[in-house]
Order: sequence, then structure tokens, then C-alpha cells
Amino acid sequence: MPFWEKRANFFVLIALVMVHLILISVQVPRHSDKKVMERIVFFVFSPVQKAAVSAFGGLESLWNNYFDLRKVRKENQRLKRDLFFLNQDKWFLEDRLMFFRSEAQLRESLSRFRESLVVARVIGTDAGNYYRSVILDKGSLDGVSRDQAVCDRFGNLVGRTIEPVSFTEAVVQLITDAESGVSVISATDRVVGVLSGASAGLCVLKYVTATKGGRLGEDLFTTGFDKIYPAGIRVGQILSVKATSSIFKEILVQPYFSFAALEAVAVLPKAGGGKS
Amino acid sequence: MRGAVLKDILRAGLAALGAFLFYSLLGRVGPSVLFLFNAFAIVVVTFSVGRDEIFGAALGAICGLVQDSFSLGVFGVAGLTKTLLGFWTGFISRRMDVSSFSRQTVFLFVMSGLELAAWVLLSTVVLGGRVNIRHGLLILQPAVTALLGSAILTINRRSRARRS
Repeated sequence: MPFWEKRANFFVLIALVMVHLILISVQVPRHSDKKVMERIVFFVFSPVQKAAVSAFGGLESLWNNYFDLRKVRKENQRLKRDLFFLNQDKWFLEDRLMFFRSEAQLRESLSRFRESLVVARVIGTDAGNYYRSVILDKGSLDGVSRDQAVCDRFGNLVGRTIEPVSFTEAVVQLITDAESGVSVISATDRVVGVLSGASAGLCVLKYVTATKGGRLGEDLFTTGFDKIYPAGIRVGQILSVKATSSIFKEILVQPYFSFAALEAVAVLPKAGGGKS
Repeated sequence: MRGAVLKDILRAGLAALGAFLFYSLLGRVGPSVLFLFNAFAIVVVTFSVGRDEIFGAALGAICGLVQDSFSLGVFGVAGLTKTLLGFWTGFISRRMDVSSFSRQTVFLFVMSGLELAAWVLLSTVVLGGRVNIRHGLLILQPAVTALLGSAILTINRRSRARRS
């Protein structure tokens, strides 16, 4: 038997390993656009994932609906009570907004914003590290494109859409990803910095000099300077502030969005520009 | 001959699809479960022991690349480690007696442990030291892969014996 036939299996292995090594090496340096093959695999498999999750979701909701019916009366009473208080809050807030804008202006801007919102469901998480990305069930056919801010149902910032965006699915880079960057400002001390992901679902506020403020429990909002995230979105709360030997402080931030409760999200329209 | 090859390709494709569906549903149950259960690794080791090293390597490459395309990591890292996992699992299992449940579990534990170590090492080198092991939950992954893989293989073997 010839040598190459005897060792055919090893040649196949070497060929496969070489293909992978070439794939990895062409991506260095990183941050380049997604490779064609990666896009193809994503385009092929993402509809399958959507179908599987929808089927599972259907079964789950059927099961839940049965049990929910049993609790619905109690829930209804609680909701009525909540509605009363929410209406009170709404009237108060509307009153405060009227103070700044006329009613017509306010209604027009609100309706414009609502129309451009895309509500999506999270159908998948990152296969390697779930703090990095999630997959949504809305894609380019629904008006989603790259670099759109994504918020949870409470209006807290979750991340932004990145490539690949297929026709009916899109990938969201979470703010807890170490490679993400969000321009934020603190509510009280007005400290501006760049928020990136740290380990275990936390974030770190970078480039805040030791002489600047930044205190425990302070809220952080987007500034809009990065031209991706619109200004004024709630991002997180300062968890700890440490002085280091460098000129920058070490500020740890707890993001407001909860990964465990991340089911429905809103994809916001593209930010027009920075906050003046 | 060609029919057998086509059958193998079809099987590998279906197995990858099965692993992908399993991964999708696991993510829905709870994202942290994904750290414990690597559906792709379970499918690769199970089929590699049942078939041969070439089938294992091909299936490993497919499953790994699918895993990579649903992750923000470097495309090809999981593909490479799973190719090696599939090949060596198939290769060694044909030359060593791993038929009993305990031997099989230990063997799969070692193989999936090595695969995880290679994945962590490669990811650390390429990403620059940012692999999240989720409070050690990731370290349990080889044990879960070994136990589930052995259980699937044992059930498969017994059902075949009963049928024959």
C-alpha cells in the first residue's frame, strides 16, 4: 500500500488544521469585517435557530398560559392598583414635560420615535461567552442595520447591533463585552468616560482621571458623543471607585440591564449625532 | 462506496444540526447552562467513538465553525479544537478498549478536557487573556460532556444489542 494511502487520515487532519489556521491568521489583526464564510454559516443557521426557539417558545407559552389563567384574577387586581399609580406618575411627568415643550411638539416627537422603534426577541446567546453578544429575531427586512442602539423593556442600554445582520436576524454586541465602548456621563459629578465590559457581567468606566469625581451609586447615562447611542439612555450605576498608581481611576459599573430577564428588547433608530 | 460517503456526510450534517438545535434550546433555558453543556462537543465525541477519526474530524470542523459563527470570538478557534477533538477521539477509541461505561467516561473526560484547554489557550493567545470561565463553571464542562456522551453511547449500544 502506498505511503499516502496508509497515512490518508492524517493528511485529511493536516488539511483541516491548515484550513483553520489560515482562517484564524487572516483575522489578525482583529476588528476587521466579518469573513464571508462566517457570514454564510450565520445566514444558514440563524433561521434554524429562530424556528427552534419559536417552537420551544410556543410550547412554553402554552404551558405557562394554563398556569397563568389560574393566577389571573389576583394579577388583575394588582395591575389595576399599579395602573392607578402609573397614571398618577404619567400625569405628573406630562405636566413637567409640558413645562418645556408644547403639547403638539411633544406628541409629534413621541409618535415619530414609536414608529421607528423595532421590538425584537432574544433568540440566542453567544456560544463562547454569553456576556459578549445575543441574537435577535429581527433583521434587515425589519429595518435593523448595524450600529443601532438596543435597550431592554425598561429603557436601559443593552448594546448595539453589529455585523452580521441577516434578513431576519441580527447580532447585538452587549455593553458587557470587553471590546465594546460607550461614551457615558455620570448624573451628579458630570464625569465623562468610556464604558467597556469587564468580567462576569460588570463594566468598567475608562479614562476618568484621578482628579475627576465619580462617586458610589452614581447613575450613568449615554452622552451621544460616539454617534451610535442616543444621548440620555440609562446605562448603569457606579459600583466601586479605586485610586490606582496610574493617572486614571479604576471605576467598576453595574449595568442596569439584567441578562437573566433579557427576553424582549427595543432596537432604537440610528443616533443622529452627539449631544450639544 | 459513494453511497456510504454521502450517507456519512448526511449524518454529519444532521448531527451538526442536532447539536445546533440543542445549543439554541439550552440558551433559552438559561444562558449559564451553556457553560456546562457544550452541545457541539457532546455530539462530536459521541459520533467520533461510534464512527472513525475522519468522520470525527469532519464533524468537529462543522460543529466548531457553527459554534464560532454564533460567538464574537475569532472565527476558526473552536473549529480547530473540535476538529482535533473529533479526530483523536475517533483515532484512539479504535485502538483502545473503551467499551465499558467507566472507561468511556474517563476517556471522554480526558479528551474533552484537552479540547477545552486548547480552546482556552488559543482564545487567550488570540484575544489577549480575556476568557471568562464564569466562576469555574466552565471547568465542569468536560465532566458533563463525558457523562452525557458515555450515557448516550451506552444507551445506543444497549438498544442495538436488544434489536439484534
